[in-house]
Amino acid sequence: MSLYLAQISWLHRLPAGLKLFCLAIATVLLYPVKEVGIISLAVAVTLGIYASLGRSGLAQLKLLKPLFWMMLAIFALQYWTMGLAEAWILLGRMLVLILLANAISMTTRMDEMNAVFQFLLTPLRWLGVQTQRIAFALSLLIRFVPVLVSFMHALLAAWRARGGQRRYWQIIAPLVVQALRMSDQVAEAVAARGGIPKIKN
Amino acid sequence: MHTPSIELSHVTLIREGRTIFDDLTLSLNESRIGIIGFNGSGKSSLIRLLNGLLTADSGTISINGKDPSKGPAAMSTEVGFVFQNPDHQLIFPTVLEELIFGLQNQGKDKSESEAEALALLKEHDRLDWKDLPVHSLSEGQKQLICIFSVLLLKPKVIVFDEPFSALDLPTRYQLQKVISTLSQQVIMISHELDGFDGFDRLVWLGDQGVVKDGPTEEVITDYKQHAVKTAES
Repeated sequence: MSLYLAQISWLHRLPAGLKLFCLAIATVLLYPVKEVGIISLAVAVTLGIYASLGRSGLAQLKLLKPLFWMMLAIFALQYWTMGLAEAWILLGRMLVLILLANAISMTTRMDEMNAVFQFLLTPLRWLGVQTQRIAFALSLLIRFVPVLVSFMHALLAAWRARGGQRRYWQIIAPLVVQALRMSDQVAEAVAARGGIPKIKN
Repeated sequence: MHTPSIELSHVTLIREGRTIFDDLTLSLNESRIGIIGFNGSGKSSLIRLLNGLLTADSGTISINGKDPSKGPAAMSTEVGFVFQNPDHQLIFPTVLEELIFGLQNQGKDKSESEAEALALLKEHDRLDWKDLPVHSLSEGQKQLICIFSVLLLKPKVIVFDEPFSALDLPTRYQLQKVISTLSQQVIMISHELDGFDGFDRLVWLGDQGVVKDGPTEEVITDYKQHAVKTAES
C-alpha cells in the first residue's frame, strides 16, 4: 500500500472491518452537524489519532498539501456565500473524513482490506461475478499508484532539465505511453506466475 | 538436481511482420546458460518461447516433455521468470502477499501458501520482511523478492531477463552469488558480460539466429571483437 506505515501501531491491530465501519459511522454522524464546536472537536480528535501514531504518523499530514488550494477555494466560496461558521463546518468535515480514511489506509494491510471488500461484494458473487478479480484489480491499483507517481517525477525532471516551462500538461502523453507499456509488462509477469487468481477461500 | 531438457526444433517465430527465428534448432541442457546479443537480436523472444509468453509460428518446443504453447499458467511449475524491472513483476503492496500469489494460483489455500512463504523467508533470514511495503524496498531487495516468489513455485529452470540493469555494484555481486547458489538450471540474458562468471555455456544471438554457441570465455572474446567492429563501422 502506497501510504502504508511499516511501523506497527495500535491502529494496525484493530480489525479492518471495524475501522471501515467506524469511518462509515463518522461520515453519517458528521453529515447533519451544524455546530462549530462539534466539528472543531472532531478535527482535534482526528489530529490526536495522527499524533498517537508517532512522528511518521504526523508526517503523513503532508498529504493535505496538494489539496490546499482546492480547500482554500471551497472555504473562500463558502465564506462568501454562507458565512464563516458554515465555511469552517464544511472544511472541518472534509478534513476529518479525508484524514480518517487516510489513517485507515496507513494502518491496514492490503489483504485485510481485500477481505472486507470481498465480504461486501458477496451479493455480487451470488450473481456469478468473480469478485476475486475485482479485488485483484484493486490491489494492482494501490501497488502501482506510487510507481506511476515516480514515472511522473522522472518525466517532470526530464522536462525541467531541458528548460521546459510551466506547461506541465505536456508530459501527460508520455506518461500515458509509459503506463501502457508498463501494463503490458505487468501482464506478462502476472501470466508467468500462473495468471489472475481463481476463486479460492 | 537433474538438469531439465529443453529442446527447440525447427522453430520459426514472426513478430509484427519481422522474422525473429527462422528454423531454429537448439538444445539447452547445461546447468548455467547465458544468452547474449545486440538489442533486437531475439534474446527476450527466445526466453519468452520457453514459458509460453510467446508461441512459435512453427516448429516444436519441449521443456521436460511439456509443451509451452499450453500457456504460461501451465508452465509456471517448469519455468520461473525473473524480469528485468522488479517494479513490473511485484504486483502486491506487501511482501507476503507477493510471495503467496503464485502458490495460490497453483491451487494452494491461503494458510498453506503463507506457511511455505514464511518458511522460505526464514530460511534466508528475511522473516522481518514479511509485512514490509514492497515500494519501500531497495532495488536489490525487490529483485530478491522476485526470486523468492519464483523459487516458491519450485520450477526446474529459472530464467533471468537482464537482472542486473538496475543494480549498483555490490548489489549485483550479491545477486550473482544468489544465482550461483541456485540448485535449478539457470538461463540468463545480460549485457554485463562479467555476470556470466562460472557459466557453462553462452549462446550469442544475431539477426540470423545463433551466431556462436560454446564455452563462455570463447564466445565472449569473439562477441567483444564483433561489437568493437560494429561500433567502428
